[in-house]
Amino acid sequence: MRLPGRDRSGAATAAVIAAVLVLPSCKTSPRAAHFELQPEAPKYRAAQTRYFETTDSKELLSASAAVLQDLGFGIEESVRELGFLRAAKERSAREHGQEVLRGLFMVLSSAASAFGGDFYTYIMPIDLHQKIAATLVARPLDEKGTRQEVRVMFYRVVWKGDGQNGRDHIAPGEQRMEMVHDPEIYQQFFACLAKAVFLEAHAL
Amino acid sequence: MSTATSLRRVVPILLGCLALPSCEAPKPKPELLTPTEEPSKLRSYQSRTFDVATRVAALRTVMDVLQDLGFIIERANEPLGLVSAARFAEPSYNDVMSVTVTVREAGEGRFTIRANAVHNNRPVVDAETYQKFFAAIERSFVLTRE
Repeated sequence: MRLPGRDRSGAATAAVIAAVLVLPSCKTSPRAAHFELQPEAPKYRAAQTRYFETTDSKELLSASAAVLQDLGFGIEESVRELGFLRAAKERSAREHGQEVLRGLFMVLSSAASAFGGDFYTYIMPIDLHQKIAATLVARPLDEKGTRQEVRVMFYRVVWKGDGQNGRDHIAPGEQRMEMVHDPEIYQQFFACLAKAVFLEAHAL
Repeated sequence: MSTATSLRRVVPILLGCLALPSCEAPKPKPELLTPTEEPSKLRSYQSRTFDVATRVAALRTVMDVLQDLGFIIERANEPLGLVSAARFAEPSYNDVMSVTVTVREAGEGRFTIRANAVHNNRPVVDAETYQKFFAAIERSFVLTRE
């Protein structure tokens, strides 16, 4: 059966509206996206994981704690049954480049306000303090427990100092967090761990 | 009796009548503590039972999956079967998703995994989030069995 012209255009409009209504429901919600494996996940996992040919899981965990201590971390949480360690260290986050940039902004904004007449000074808040943390999980890879996997994740939380935007004071304490994805850092950690347990660290 | 005098008597009585109900403590609603459909529906989204040999194996899988998803394990407790983790939503750094997972025995070789997710201090109640999490757990169990 052929539809008259107006009915056909009406049907087409209805189909487009229905498609527009249906389309968003196909997309993953931003919250659900947190529980979706990201394309980079295998790459990060490979950098964060090594396995060791040993049955001594206790010694491996103990050596991991010792390596973290050597690197200046303090152990905050440990669960032997699950091979879990959480460690952290706090350091200054001041960087020379940021200090220079802050000074430059301050001078430029002060000069502009002197010529323009209006008071306007911009003092850029800079990174002041950081907490570098590590979570480590050691687990057997087979039922006999002849191979043990160690996975470590490093991340840092950075706190900014105060600043000024014109007459408004920018309060200190703004915080941001970032995962450490630099493979070299993980290589260094596993090299230290391999030395500590006198075993070779195998990549996945 | 003049009108002003009668008004002077009536006004305090009226005010008293108005004030009285406010002295009474509000009665709790009868449905406050009775389970409604919503929490039970939410619990069904948040829970899934798997065939796993031990609680430790289930907990290790949960921790492994959470790490794959980019979560940072904050606490773990083997006797209670508890893992809590959190992650910042890179690259915005402003949103925080935290999750608490409990593992409870549900029979011989079966364990129920329950996850409670909180996004920026608000509980996550949509089914899709939990479906994604349990799909990742299921995948990990399959890979372990292989």
